[in-house]
Amino acid sequence: MIKLIANSLLRRRWQSLATLLGVALGAGLLLAVFLLYHGFEQGLERGRQKLGADLLVVPGNATVDPDRALFAGSPLNVYMDKKYADEARKIPGVRRVEAQFFTQSLKLECCSVGVESRLIGIEDKVTQRLAGMSANGREKLEPDEVIVGSELLGEMNRPGSMIELLGNIFRLAYRLEPTGTALDYAILMPIDSARDLAANSDALKPVWQDAGDPHQLISALLVEVDDPSRLKEIGRKLEDLGPLKVIRAADTFQRLKRLMNAFVFVLAAAGALTAIGGVVYLLGHFSSVAWDRKGEWALYRALGATKPRMVQLVVGEAVVLALAGAVIGLPLGYGLYRLAFARLSAQNSFPFVAPGGVLLAAGAAGALLLYAFIGFLSAAGPALRVAQLEPALTMAQGDID
Amino acid sequence: MRTPSQILLEAENVSRSYGPETILANVSLQIRAGEVTTVVGPSGSGKTTLLALLALLLEPSSGQIRVAGRDAGKLSDAERSHLRNTFYGFIFQTAQLVGSLSVLDNVLLPALLAGKAREKRTAARELLDRLGLSTRADFLPHQLSLGQKRRVALARALLLRPAVILADEPTNDLDLRRAAQVADFLLGLPADGYALVLVTHDQQLAERAGNRWHIQEGRLTPPSRGAAVPPPPAEHFVLQTSTNETP
Repeated sequence: MIKLIANSLLRRRWQSLATLLGVALGAGLLLAVFLLYHGFEQGLERGRQKLGADLLVVPGNATVDPDRALFAGSPLNVYMDKKYADEARKIPGVRRVEAQFFTQSLKLECCSVGVESRLIGIEDKVTQRLAGMSANGREKLEPDEVIVGSELLGEMNRPGSMIELLGNIFRLAYRLEPTGTALDYAILMPIDSARDLAANSDALKPVWQDAGDPHQLISALLVEVDDPSRLKEIGRKLEDLGPLKVIRAADTFQRLKRLMNAFVFVLAAAGALTAIGGVVYLLGHFSSVAWDRKGEWALYRALGATKPRMVQLVVGEAVVLALAGAVIGLPLGYGLYRLAFARLSAQNSFPFVAPGGVLLAAGAAGALLLYAFIGFLSAAGPALRVAQLEPALTMAQGDID
Repeated sequence: MRTPSQILLEAENVSRSYGPETILANVSLQIRAGEVTTVVGPSGSGKTTLLALLALLLEPSSGQIRVAGRDAGKLSDAERSHLRNTFYGFIFQTAQLVGSLSVLDNVLLPALLAGKAREKRTAARELLDRLGLSTRADFLPHQLSLGQKRRVALARALLLRPAVILADEPTNDLDLRRAAQVADFLLGLPADGYALVLVTHDQQLAERAGNRWHIQEGRLTPPSRGAAVPPPPAEHFVLQTSTNETP
């Protein structure tokens, strides 16, 4: 049977090639959509985990894009008095408050990636939370230790490496897992170390001097509440503390999720239309094959092929074509996904995490199975009609070659 | 091995109608191992329909067909298919070769359909050799002449050593020389124990074959007297054909 199927496909090579290409494009698009969807979903989830808070509080004069601040991990060089952290902790219903201090290097002096790098001073509680998000994470940092984003330093980005920041030597404690955000390009350190760096740098002085001594400043507060239904109320109380701006994570998360869903819907619709188009195309192809080759099928029946064997032959041909097309389409789809991924990563404005090998394999296997099913579905009807052909038809027909 | 004169195939009062039109009426016939049965008649007399009924390609409207003693009407589709694959060898009016398969694979087609092509490969090559086509094994049908195609169809019919060979106008469209070659080969088969059912309007072939049944307007008349099958000379099994014969 395999011989008959292979022969049939190879002898009608242009027809087979056209079908293969049609299937390949569909399967490729589906795989790309699948990977992009999961990349977005994981990115958003990591962003939410990374934030670990219900509210983000920044100085009132900060120009903040909530999406970038919350989920893209983009820090801002804005400052407010650190007293707000203590005052926020006193508000009833507030479970946890974490302060962060943002600054920047001018460029990495050694092992430089050639761009300015964000430095984020974090409290021990943040360190503990980040440790849970990384395989080799540690719960406490020494004053001269840093955590480095996944995309910085290349080969040097491994625990124990030494880097120089604004004239000071730091040891790399561990690297973060990819988040698909600006955090991948950031360096995190104990909050007092970040303050010291900013205070001792003449180049950075213009950034903070209007706000006062860096040791008395913070850039943002991450606030977690006991009861999410009281978010609005607590948000108002935080804003009452001073000239502060409060961003609600849930709102931003939902808005971003809706945006992502809309984007994914367009991609999924394109994928679904391609899959449906594939079914229609293959159905047309195999209906036509059933009609065009009925002389051949009738001969097979006359020479002893059973009805199930006829169904196997027609469906087998369809499934082989669909699978071969899907196999060709998978690298195309992966290439398309990589292209989209590169564009999205370059913008750094949307959380996106590259799906791992398991998800990639699952996507590829899913596309193969789906197209095998599409092949089966599109050939089942024609195959049943072929199986019903009267073998006597072969007595009345002319030569079939 | 089948014993000579063993009844392999039997039609008893078989009729076949298409709507109000009766194509065959109350046909009774016995096909025996090692014998030729020739059916002659004008075009449209029901010859091909009779062959299709005997070959289990069609079902009779009434009457009974027995294959090796079994009532064909009670067989399942799978059993009928199996019989068509192993019990019968078909030679159709046209060669009916599959254009996408090589000559060798066309000969192997019944085995390919039965899933035993590998074990029949040597037999297929031997048959092609006997029929003077060994150098054409890898050709495609469109590269063959009409006579060569007919011989490929002959090889395909014999591949699984069936009990009954059904030949429908086997010399149709062939020139005299090639028609004689094909006839020689076919008429030599009963000596090997095959039952040969020959449907033809080629009077010369019918006379050589003997045991002539006449069919006219769907009614079959037995031979007036038994005609012995002329014993074929041994060399008839090898067709002397030039290998550079052009299509």
